[in-house]
Amino acid sequence: MSKILTVIKREYFQMVKSKGFIIGTVLGPVLMAGIILIPMVFSMMSVEDQETIAVVDESRVIYAGLESKLDMKLKDGRLRYLLEEVPPRGNPEEILSDLNQKVLAKELSAYLYLPADVAEEGKAEFVSLHVADFDKTRLINEALNGVVIEKRLRGEGLDPEKINEYTRGVRLTTKKVTKQGAEEDRGGTFLIAYVLVLILYMTLIFYGAIIMRGVIEEKNSRMVEIILSSLKPFQLMSGKILGIAAVGLTQYGVWALFGVALSQYGGRFMSGVMPSAAGIRIPTIPVYIFVFFVVFFILGYFLYGTVYAAIGSMVNSEKEAQQLMMPVTMFLVIPILLMMFVIRSPESSMSVVLSLIPLFAPILMLLRVCILIPPPLQIGASIVLLLLSILLMIWVAAKIYRVGILMYGKRPRFGEVLRWMKYK
Amino acid sequence: MNALKIDNITKRFGDFFAVRDLSFSVASGGIYSLLGPNGAGKTTTIRMVMNIIIPDSGSVRVFGQPMNENMKQEIGYLPEDRGLYPKMKVGELLMFLAELKSVRKADARREIDIWLERLELTEWKNKKVEELSKGMQQKIQFIATVIHSPRLIILDEPFSGLDPVNTKLMKDIMLEMKADKKTIIFSTHRMEQVEMISDDICLINKGRMVLEGPLHRIKNDYGKNTVILEYEGDASVLSGQAEVDKIDDYGKYMEIKLNEGADPQALLHKIVGRIRISKFEVQEPTLNAIFIDKVEGRR
Repeated sequence: MSKILTVIKREYFQMVKSKGFIIGTVLGPVLMAGIILIPMVFSMMSVEDQETIAVVDESRVIYAGLESKLDMKLKDGRLRYLLEEVPPRGNPEEILSDLNQKVLAKELSAYLYLPADVAEEGKAEFVSLHVADFDKTRLINEALNGVVIEKRLRGEGLDPEKINEYTRGVRLTTKKVTKQGAEEDRGGTFLIAYVLVLILYMTLIFYGAIIMRGVIEEKNSRMVEIILSSLKPFQLMSGKILGIAAVGLTQYGVWALFGVALSQYGGRFMSGVMPSAAGIRIPTIPVYIFVFFVVFFILGYFLYGTVYAAIGSMVNSEKEAQQLMMPVTMFLVIPILLMMFVIRSPESSMSVVLSLIPLFAPILMLLRVCILIPPPLQIGASIVLLLLSILLMIWVAAKIYRVGILMYGKRPRFGEVLRWMKYK
Repeated sequence: MNALKIDNITKRFGDFFAVRDLSFSVASGGIYSLLGPNGAGKTTTIRMVMNIIIPDSGSVRVFGQPMNENMKQEIGYLPEDRGLYPKMKVGELLMFLAELKSVRKADARREIDIWLERLELTEWKNKKVEELSKGMQQKIQFIATVIHSPRLIILDEPFSGLDPVNTKLMKDIMLEMKADKKTIIFSTHRMEQVEMISDDICLINKGRMVLEGPLHRIKNDYGKNTVILEYEGDASVLSGQAEVDKIDDYGKYMEIKLNEGADPQALLHKIVGRIRISKFEVQEPTLNAIFIDKVEGRR
């Protein structure tokens, strides 16, 4: 046991002292925060300029309404969209090709073509150099809709104001029942689930790769047999996996501290820097979710870690390992692909079954725990199944590992690996 | 008491017998060499002694006890495939390996310093392994082998890759340890070193024992049937002579194995004057000749 501890200590301190770890641990959350905050900041201070949009109104009744609806202002008080009516005289095709030229020459940002029967047919065209700015097209489309609908209503002798009043919708507030009672939830649950599951996914792949690389390094540097003169291959493998687990938990610990700080002070910091961001609420992670997160990380880590250790022992280089890693990584990618399905119907029997399959369980059961609290029996069952598969995997991996780490040269075929397992 | 006793060990990999029914024992104190051509099963045998791979059948006893994990403390092992963690500092790495051998920290620190001093590596203690030359790394590997003062030291191809200076150093330390009543087992296929330092040898080929015993007795058994000849000229005069069984010619030096009962003087008489002879010596066969004879005889 003390020998395993010696191996654990070495793995832990070598890793924790490395530059890569320090950078990853400190920079990880900074990057993560950056990924979340930077787009928010940018969307808030997006540089906008006045745009000139020509309108060819063949129906001759829409333009006026459109101008009064599209009255959004820029920060400096100018109109965001400056409309310019083009009288539809002469050949319409000539007018349009003339406008096309103007758009190409950037004299116009875009033009809107409203046919004579726009109100009846409900069709119009928006022409621009690029039409990927959904926000802009949505605004214009909404304004146009408003004008056309109003016109239709008035045509039927109805009062648009009244109709608006009658068709006003209901504002639905989403709440989540917890032990403390009902609480408003504006997508925070979803965000937490999403972020935690992605962190779990990335760290499982990341630490799996570290284990594998460690095994390959030991093998390639020919260090392994010197170590085996003191302990059993199984002790070396366990020590390595446990040592790197400790590294992972250290990293999680640092990130958790950062997360707590962010949810405590992040909002205040943001609103201090940018008053307009005061409305942003950073969701807090409930303690039980964090506990399950750590539990499923540990379980997933041991399941995948042993597989990666076995792969590392079979190959001579990381390049060779790539091919073997592919199918393993697939088992981590599949639950990510199934995520949306499980979020939408976390209690369907399909979701329940998927979250019990040990290779998927760490990610999918955690996801379900984040969204709703599944029956304890299901959580218990997934943990028991995971533990059993871990034991099985350790048994298999140990048998492959003890032979593999002493084999140099050609990568073994699958049949050979099966034969290794029969060696005494 | 025997330092090592191996009884009928067999190891198969698939259909291939790496070691087959091998038995030998090594008396305590002295230098024992395990010889054999490449692929003879030397490394597999040593790995079974070290409990790194488990024999399919047969038993290994070390100092009278069945080999197990605890007995690893008593043995220092220098594997043939050896290397060190490149990113670790020399001192830390040796400390790690000493801890794996359950050496107390204070003792380990002292031993590490003594050995680094002895092998002139003290100023490298806080350098990373990758900064060391290959020769220095070999010395570090050796320190790792003996850091826990083992009673039995097993060296798999200890001289491979060593320059003459380090070879001499290694030989000196081996003799010193022998004087210190330690038991040393080493494997090699370079006969000159064996001839100079071994007390006993064991020759294996294709996983089986071919020859075993004290070196002097083995050579004695062969008798003085070998002529060492240093010469200049056309050596073809020797071939076809009735006294000659086999010739191992190096151009200016040759080892001639005589037929049973042949008279070396008669041979000398026949070649005098036909080539220039600077040395003509009748002696026991060299270990090299015995090795080749035994291994080729089996083929």
